[in-house]
Amino acid sequence: MAKYIVKRVLRSLITMFIIITILFALLRLMPIEGYFENFDKMSETQIQVKLTSLGLMDPLPKQLLRFYNQLLHGDLGVSNVYRRGVAITEIIGEKIPVSIKLGLMSLCISLAVGLPLGILMARSTRTKYKIGDRLGTVFIVIIQAVPSAVYHILIQFAGSQTYVGKEIFGLPMLFDESNPKSYILPVLSLSIGSIAYYAMWLRRYMVDESNKDYIRLARAKGVPGGAISRRHVFRNAFVPMVQYIPNSILFTLMGSLYVESLYSIPGMGGLLVTAIKRQDNTLVQALVLIYAVISILGLLFGDILMGIVDPRISFAKKEGSR
Amino acid sequence: MKRLRFRSMRNEMTDQLGDKLNAQLADQMDAMSDEEKFSFAEFNAAEAERGGYSGYSYWGSTFRAFRQNKVAMFFLVVMVVLLAFTFIQPYLPNQKDPLLIHNDEWGLPLNNVPPCEEFWFGTNAIGQDLWARIWSGTRTSLFIGFAVALVEAVVGILVGVLWGYVRKLDFFFTELYNVLDNIPQTLLLILISYVMKPGVDTIIFALSLTGWLGMARFIRNQIIIIRDRDYNLASRCLGVSTGRIIVKNLLPYLVSVITMRMALAIPSAIGNEVFVTYIGIGLPLDTPSLGNLIQTGRSLMTVASLRYQLFFPVVVLALITISFYIIGNAFADAADPKNHVR
Amino acid sequence: MKATKRLLALLLAAAMTLAMAACGGSETPDQTEASTAAAPTETAAPVTENAVFRTLYASEVTTLNYLTTGNANEFGIAANLVDCLVEYDSYGNVEPALAESWEQNEDATVWTFKIRQGVNWVDKDGNVVAPVTAHDWVSAAHYACDANNDSGVFYTMSGVIAGADAYYDWTAYQLALPTAKDGTDEDGNPVKLITGEDGEEQVLEEVPEASVEDIGVKALDDYTLEFTLESSRPYFISMVSFGPYMPVYGPFLEECGDKFGTSNEYLLYCGAFVLSTFEPQQRRVMTKNQSYWEKEQVFLDAIESTYNAEASSISVTMYQSGEVDYADVSSDLLSAMMEDPATKDLIHPTRSDTSYAYWYLFNFDANFDEEYEPENWELAVNNENFRKSIVHAFNRMPALAANDRIDPESMKNNTITPAAFASASKDYAYYDGLAAYTDGDNFDQELALEYKAKAMEELTAEGATFPVKMLMCYNPTTSNWANECQVVEQTIEGILGADYVDIIIQAGPETGFLSAVRRTGNYAFMKCNWGADYADPETWAEPFSADSSYSFIFASEDPETQALYAEYLQLVADAKAITNDMDARYEAFATAEAFLLDHAFAIPFSISNRSYQMSDLNVFEGQYASFGVASFRYKDQHLYDTSMSLEQYQAAYADWLANLAG
Repeated sequence: MAKYIVKRVLRSLITMFIIITILFALLRLMPIEGYFENFDKMSETQIQVKLTSLGLMDPLPKQLLRFYNQLLHGDLGVSNVYRRGVAITEIIGEKIPVSIKLGLMSLCISLAVGLPLGILMARSTRTKYKIGDRLGTVFIVIIQAVPSAVYHILIQFAGSQTYVGKEIFGLPMLFDESNPKSYILPVLSLSIGSIAYYAMWLRRYMVDESNKDYIRLARAKGVPGGAISRRHVFRNAFVPMVQYIPNSILFTLMGSLYVESLYSIPGMGGLLVTAIKRQDNTLVQALVLIYAVISILGLLFGDILMGIVDPRISFAKKEGSR
Repeated sequence: MKRLRFRSMRNEMTDQLGDKLNAQLADQMDAMSDEEKFSFAEFNAAEAERGGYSGYSYWGSTFRAFRQNKVAMFFLVVMVVLLAFTFIQPYLPNQKDPLLIHNDEWGLPLNNVPPCEEFWFGTNAIGQDLWARIWSGTRTSLFIGFAVALVEAVVGILVGVLWGYVRKLDFFFTELYNVLDNIPQTLLLILISYVMKPGVDTIIFALSLTGWLGMARFIRNQIIIIRDRDYNLASRCLGVSTGRIIVKNLLPYLVSVITMRMALAIPSAIGNEVFVTYIGIGLPLDTPSLGNLIQTGRSLMTVASLRYQLFFPVVVLALITISFYIIGNAFADAADPKNHVR
Repeated sequence: MKATKRLLALLLAAAMTLAMAACGGSETPDQTEASTAAAPTETAAPVTENAVFRTLYASEVTTLNYLTTGNANEFGIAANLVDCLVEYDSYGNVEPALAESWEQNEDATVWTFKIRQGVNWVDKDGNVVAPVTAHDWVSAAHYACDANNDSGVFYTMSGVIAGADAYYDWTAYQLALPTAKDGTDEDGNPVKLITGEDGEEQVLEEVPEASVEDIGVKALDDYTLEFTLESSRPYFISMVSFGPYMPVYGPFLEECGDKFGTSNEYLLYCGAFVLSTFEPQQRRVMTKNQSYWEKEQVFLDAIESTYNAEASSISVTMYQSGEVDYADVSSDLLSAMMEDPATKDLIHPTRSDTSYAYWYLFNFDANFDEEYEPENWELAVNNENFRKSIVHAFNRMPALAANDRIDPESMKNNTITPAAFASASKDYAYYDGLAAYTDGDNFDQELALEYKAKAMEELTAEGATFPVKMLMCYNPTTSNWANECQVVEQTIEGILGADYVDIIIQAGPETGFLSAVRRTGNYAFMKCNWGADYADPETWAEPFSADSSYSFIFASEDPETQALYAEYLQLVADAKAITNDMDARYEAFATAEAFLLDHAFAIPFSISNRSYQMSDLNVFEGQYASFGVASFRYKDQHLYDTSMSLEQYQAAYADWLANLAG
């Protein structure tokens, strides 16, 4: 297993090297106007000077080498547009904890609500009118059908501007770190989509699992339904979902674009979009690097966790399949 | 209790089947003369070949199974009506131009008119008819959705099959996937929006650029699961060419999942268009789409009397998404041969 | 609650009286009294205790370094943190600020300022660091003129302050030298080569050495500051309230180095407020500076701004629920909110800004896709009758109404230089040929059709094809621009007929719009804008100069256009030469400007986009100047417990206009 992990990490490093190189080239394709606040009134010399001071006039390989050199020293560089002159580690260091805190809260809630909902729905498929399954499906379908850009703002307005939200619960419209009440709406917004997601997949896997022969046998033998679904169906159905949990945890640190912008949450959410639009190259590079590390680590942990949960999966065989 | 119920159900089913067979037999017996009854049945090759499912047709059974799903049938009707209406709407009488600005008698625009007899869905902030804009936007969005789904299917299946079946290519495609998957889509979208003129083609190109990745990976995983099954091994041993194995053995097995993914790719492309508009690189306003209609509506959320401008496009989008979603799922269930036997 | 209502009623009555008084000529003593009482400052009681002004903002600053930034969002904050030599009252009159007095030499090339004593630099917690002295302006100038500091506002000193350009070029040369390679030019002489942005090698011109001491900003003693100018600038005083003309404490600047202006710790304050909290993309708080030299004129205790990327969508709601004191009302929402009884009495416009103007320009150097027929366009645009037909067919009212439904008329601008921008013995917009434009309107359907007939005849003879395709671009990030384009298309095509012109609307790229569209000439007909840098009509001639990136009249190959343009350039050169007589100078600039309009080279459209707002501040209390940072200051402003209504605004506006410096 150790050998497998080492091999995968090495391969991931190569992948990351390629990603960064391509990204580097892509970022240099962006129009130079993006680096200037008042491009219109600057002379040719001034433009030249600024580009030189950003290190953009050097040949690309030289810029790339400099970047890798910095990276090896643990230096992500300094932001040059977003917050000029501030170290990227400092900017990110302020934002990550906020996103993680809210993200983990909502992850816990989504698992705590989504999984039981999925089980309920799956079990309800065996009842006569399938009421639980139908209601659950309606919820899932609606959440999928209404764009998240819309339902987040609906939750915000319904939660903070209607009589119930405003007068009875006193929910504020914006997030304020020191006010616990202000966590309710953003966490709800963040959770609702993943509740639907977890419920949908758990139901799917459980229904598939319960059609398998060994379950039929168990039923035929007269094992009580509750025991079957707890001991056999749920456990097996949960295995493919386990794979995504490390990913979900790690990705909480990237935040949510919609929710964080609506509630004034100083998290990571909109950072990548802002950085790209304002052409803060160093910041984009750093964020993409983090993004890649997270997704690669997430997959690795997911596989390891799956191996632990499900002894049938062996790493030797899995190799090369991803 | 449950045990009992299960047993009795099982018994009931068995009894029913038995009764049916007995009835069939009785019918046949009645039609025969005594002589016939006591003569030897001769060996008939065709008859021997006939399995239990005579007259079984895959597509026939699929459609039969699909028709039994009443909810899906309902949404199929909704979708067909919606699609048909979207395309014939401009040719109906009394329809307005989605770009025409309606002015009052003093030459000032009739803006933000709430839904009324003249403007069924009201007008927007500069006095354009929202009804016409929504249907024109739906046309644009559906076109984007279909185009992206098509590219996704063609490229995704092609790459996915090669990736999954040809072992030598596995490493290459896996790395390619890892690299492409990690380049943020936002960056590509913004770069493309700089290089190309904003417009429908640009959006389709941008969304297709990375859209096929998910499909390819999905197909590849499915192929890996089935490529070493016995019947494929047998085909290989018999010297069947790779192309034929893929086309005849593997793809038919995947038809149902592929259609489902395509059905879901359409609403997801429309949803992506909404996202792209949200981050500010969507279609220009003179090309109405559900994305820019919703984005405009969102910014008016704050005034209660203008919320109709958000409500109408969201309802249309939701209807399209729900229809595709339900139909896609129902079709996948119906296309699974396991569900053809009851 | 009741008290507020009664107060409002009173205010309304008073305002109406004032409005009538302003219209009627004679004033009885009673009415005069009413009109003084009508100024909201005196009737509506301002909040005195804990006056905290709360806002949302959607776009974060990237730096607080006021010596380098040219972004209004950024120097708007600095305006409240650091004072300038002079400031303005709410009617635009110059007042002493950090300079107690000033004088100029005969030809306005040397300006001497006496600096106020006893003003201190403080840090973010209000602790005194050092006194403000004349040396602080010298430090600022030296910093901005050094190419290493990459100042985006150096252009305000370039060509103005003696020795500024020489020093800048020298430092830029030094900066480029390490990356340059040795090479030879076409004649084989040894030169330095650098690689340009396009990857091609360029010759690095050698620059003579210059000394920082030769920059014409000097401290004669601790409290006497002297500016030496390159040429005569009678209006120089209007230039000193911006960017590099703001003071900075030299030793602190040196200590901070690159970090200067990156956070509230790396900044010193001598203005009305200190930036006590600065958490980017989260919150910033400006607190009253307790050691400010004119503390009694600062009525707000703090300004709290919370970051919200969707501020435009939610601030209106938050204003109504009392969570903020300011909300922008976008034009989409305006008419609906004016009909809603809950909000209609809370909305009023911002004060008009005459330092910014928009015109529709024709492009004479068509550089767009073949499919839009650039050659055909160039034929058409060089025909004066064609241009005139467009000018007269362009009914601006519906287009302006797309931006401001309530009072589009007030945004209208009829000249290239906005009215009320500058004045000598009268408003510049009324000099010479401009008066006819200022009081008239370009829209005239019959004239338009007349010119259309002439143009069609002439152009057909020249081989042009109809309809002439007119490519019109807009930037999708600018709110309402897309809407405006659709209105303009419908208006012009409606009058001239789609068989004559075919306007094609196209969205430009969001990033790099200007370089992709206007600077490369990738349009036929488009709205362009320019902002004044100082209080003289000369600043408005720049976009039409022979090296500008606007409309490219100089690039036209048509002899007729060339002749007209040469005449225009001569008129401008003549005007620039007059420096001793302001009346004659304005007269000459007005002649040049009228010449452009007479030959239909531009269609004046509007003054700066005015927006509507709900705000608990009184817009007319703030400092006013059509250039520099004065109008961004919160000094002199009171916080009220409610927002002005449109009627109150209009009354106050009439009052303000009557008193405007002129």
